[in-house]
Amino acid sequence: MTYFMLLTVNGLVIGLIYALMAAGLTLVFSVLKVVNFGHGSFYMLGGYAAYYAIGLLGVPPLVGVFIAMVALFLFGVAIEWLALQPMYTGKVERKDEYAIIVTFGLTILLTNLALVVFGPFSKSPPAFLQGTFIAGPLILPYDRLIAAAVAVVLLVALAWFLARTSLGQALDAVSQSRESAAVIGINPKRMYTVAFGLGSALAGGAGALIAPIFALSPNMGELPGVQAFIIIVLGGMGSVSGSIIGGILLGVVQGLGVGFLPDPNRALAYTQAFGALLLIFVLLVRPTGLFGRAHTRLE
Amino acid sequence: MTNRISFSHGLQALLLAAALLAPLIAGPYWIHVGALAWYYAMLASSWSLLAGYAGQFSFAQVAFAAFGGYASALLRLRLGLPLILAVAAAVIMAMILGALMGALVLRLSGPYLALFTLATAEIFRLILVAEEDVTRGSLGLQVPGLFSGDSDLPYYYLGLSLVVLTLLAMNGLLFTRIGLFLRAIREDESAAQASGVNTTLHKIVVFVVTSGIAALAGAYYGHFVGILTPNMVILPEMGLVIAMAVIGGIESLPGAVVGAVIVYGLSEMLRDYGEWRFVLLGLVLILVQRFAQNGLFPFLERHFDRPMPLPSPTRNALDIEGEHVNLS
Amino acid sequence: MKPIAIAVMIAAATCLLTVNALAAEPIVLGWVGPLSPPGNFSGGQEMQWAVQLGVDEINKAGGLLGRPLKVVYEDTKGQPAEGSAAAVRLITRDKVAAIFGEFHSSVALAEADVAHKQGVPWVGTDVWADKLTALQYPEVFRLAPANSLVYVKVAAWMAEQGFKHVAIIAENTDFGQDGARVVSNILKEKHVDQKLVTIDLNQQDFTPALLRLMSEGAKPDIIQMVVAGQAQYQIVKQACQLGFAPNAKTKMLGSTGLLQKEVWEVDGDCAKHLLVVNIATPKSQWNNKAKAFAAAFQKKYNRAPTGVAMEAYDTLGVVAAAIRKAGSAERKDIIKGLSQISYVGVNGTYSFPATTDPAWAYHQFIDVPFHIIQYTASNQAPSDAPIVYPKKWATTDKLLPAN
Repeated sequence: MTYFMLLTVNGLVIGLIYALMAAGLTLVFSVLKVVNFGHGSFYMLGGYAAYYAIGLLGVPPLVGVFIAMVALFLFGVAIEWLALQPMYTGKVERKDEYAIIVTFGLTILLTNLALVVFGPFSKSPPAFLQGTFIAGPLILPYDRLIAAAVAVVLLVALAWFLARTSLGQALDAVSQSRESAAVIGINPKRMYTVAFGLGSALAGGAGALIAPIFALSPNMGELPGVQAFIIIVLGGMGSVSGSIIGGILLGVVQGLGVGFLPDPNRALAYTQAFGALLLIFVLLVRPTGLFGRAHTRLE
Repeated sequence: MTNRISFSHGLQALLLAAALLAPLIAGPYWIHVGALAWYYAMLASSWSLLAGYAGQFSFAQVAFAAFGGYASALLRLRLGLPLILAVAAAVIMAMILGALMGALVLRLSGPYLALFTLATAEIFRLILVAEEDVTRGSLGLQVPGLFSGDSDLPYYYLGLSLVVLTLLAMNGLLFTRIGLFLRAIREDESAAQASGVNTTLHKIVVFVVTSGIAALAGAYYGHFVGILTPNMVILPEMGLVIAMAVIGGIESLPGAVVGAVIVYGLSEMLRDYGEWRFVLLGLVLILVQRFAQNGLFPFLERHFDRPMPLPSPTRNALDIEGEHVNLS
Repeated sequence: MKPIAIAVMIAAATCLLTVNALAAEPIVLGWVGPLSPPGNFSGGQEMQWAVQLGVDEINKAGGLLGRPLKVVYEDTKGQPAEGSAAAVRLITRDKVAAIFGEFHSSVALAEADVAHKQGVPWVGTDVWADKLTALQYPEVFRLAPANSLVYVKVAAWMAEQGFKHVAIIAENTDFGQDGARVVSNILKEKHVDQKLVTIDLNQQDFTPALLRLMSEGAKPDIIQMVVAGQAQYQIVKQACQLGFAPNAKTKMLGSTGLLQKEVWEVDGDCAKHLLVVNIATPKSQWNNKAKAFAAAFQKKYNRAPTGVAMEAYDTLGVVAAAIRKAGSAERKDIIKGLSQISYVGVNGTYSFPATTDPAWAYHQFIDVPFHIIQYTASNQAPSDAPIVYPKKWATTDKLLPAN
């Protein structure tokens, strides 16, 4: 029972942080109709941004997370302006392909650039709080607990932002129909920029939260990137609440799969497969994910 | 306005002649690179057929290639089957799996299909790593070579013939009714269905054909490089194939071949830049898409005979309007 | 002046000029290794740095056979196809006299194949799969230990120490899968209960894996990590946070990555009592070369060299020595030179006899030094840590914490 509980709690915690990253990805998708294959590298950059903010500016770790989010927001805006705007200013055709290639090229560029600039050796920012939280049979390192808590706060804030503020509602309007939004006076291009910046900030925040828990390395975003894709499809693309549930589901299923598959060696070797299998199963049953709207193209 | 390159028969013949003669001036290193490029060319062109013509944006192409490589190698090594039989069996098995895949993704579209296929590719990769008793996992499965001697020339020409054969096969398919229906499906699936086209069957047929070609490519790769590892199936490899197809022109099979040669050649040329090699490659991909999405080969189009377009699917009415013949 | 004198002077001048032109032509060698993903790029970087240091030293001292030494570095990314392309490029375009380096066995096998076909010497730095030398290609030599050399002894040591339940955590790369098998098989032979699990390196959360290992069946009294590099830090950190290890009940034994200073940054006090397999001679046994190298490396790169860096430095040294012994930079002569030399490097005295039994001993450096240390105090440098194996170098016979 303890074993089961520990696995579930751990999966929940990690899943929440991945959900944060996935929420950013799904936001970008829902507004821009673009799957950002470079999302994993924003996560990585967020981690390094926090590391350097803490190291060079001497700020406490949580402030470092905030700085990372701001930095990645600005970076996302810049990338959107430089690389993605041509998609909807009529300069390119076949926007789906353009988005895939450009974001994929971005991943290669950023990962290898990070390797050159930050170097190949692992870095580790200081912990949010040293030590482990122990309550009866429950064992949870403080870092994970705090990171999960911050992730929850950010996700709740995001949901509130999308539902209650005019900017958030404008984003939602554009995600539903760009033309109708334009009709009522919302500038879709500005919304694209905001959405992309926000999505990048969320990825960066996730990376900054993870940084003290795991290590920083230039290719640390690869696997979480794939997991983010799995999560947003699980939850249904374009649905922020879907990605939250998807993230938690992925984290928990993975943990339990590892813990309970009969052959221990296979259980561990196939850790990544549990999420993939979950995805396959969900899509076979519900082709647009758990809470997704049908896929629409960028108009 | 589209400037899409149409590969006239003349142009294709010219490119083929160039490929046949290139080893005379190329030198062993570029012959080696060329032989590797043919692997990617087969993957890129078959992926073009799958994604460009049939609209199935699959991320499983490299997984099918790896399947073909491993299956043919294991059949040779473990069961002692002769080469041709082992490769044929691997291709057929891949085609069956391709049919299964095609059936599974029928209800999926766009990014959902992409991620479904990505998930299956990942699972396959994990199987390759984990089942080391069979596959030798990350240590790699060594595959005996095909030709004795130290030159890569026989592999180069073998790869080139495979590329030509698969292109001919795919073109043949496109000129039949199946090709016609594929274009109809891609343009407007519901309309096609309403007109009585068996969309299910046709989508599955394309999966069958393209996974067979991928498996063949994988078998070729294994025998040339001499060792197969699960790293064949990582996401960056699939991304590279997609980039090659898109840069070459996603709706052109010969274009994908050219795209593969260019992108792979470029990644080798950039070796001179040491640690900046892949930074530059990423940058080039972005810039090419941004500034030359269609016009990568306009100069080719201008200098050869009047393009007789091969069947290439058009996106919508606007494209037909905009397509023009550029004669100089 | 007499015409004959002029003629002699012209002849002499021509000779001098020709000799100088010849002397300027560099000897070119090729280095291969992973410098970007999916390869182990931190290991590859260390190797490259060590080689660059060696090249500078050789050139400052006048070069090889009076000629400057040039090394072309190729990133092989942990992909065999990259390895074979790099090998072909080095051999046919850069016309290298020899190829050396590499970190991944699967890539090395592809490179060795090319080298064998072209008759080019290939010397492996940190590739452990038995298969590489078991192929017995005359062109292929190896400084790194074969898995059978080191892990057999480690497994035997574990049995000797009386560990009853061993948990082996292996990374899913060539290094992990091969090495772990060797340990597992030896332990089985010695009737020690063992569990072998493989982990995906890219995934950094080992908590479920550790929870499972520690909750199912008998609790392991030692966890052996066959993991290259820095993923071990996470395993150690998470095991420590869960309260599993390293402690009196369960020890932890890892490899090279734990020797780097980052272990204290990432793991803090959890790294106390870690046992580490170090493929190098203990500092107390260092010869002058080793001391000089370590000082120079530390100065130039601001980190202490690990065993991998020393192996890389020695690989260059070995190739240079072979060239000197053969008096020539022709490929055939270098191969001959390699099979005949006895070279004193920083890690030991190298020779590569053509033993054929066991198969992997062919052109394999046999006296690979290694020892096992145990950290006993925070922020301890590996060279200050007590040595627990082998007996000839051991400074203590107790493993801490005592039960």
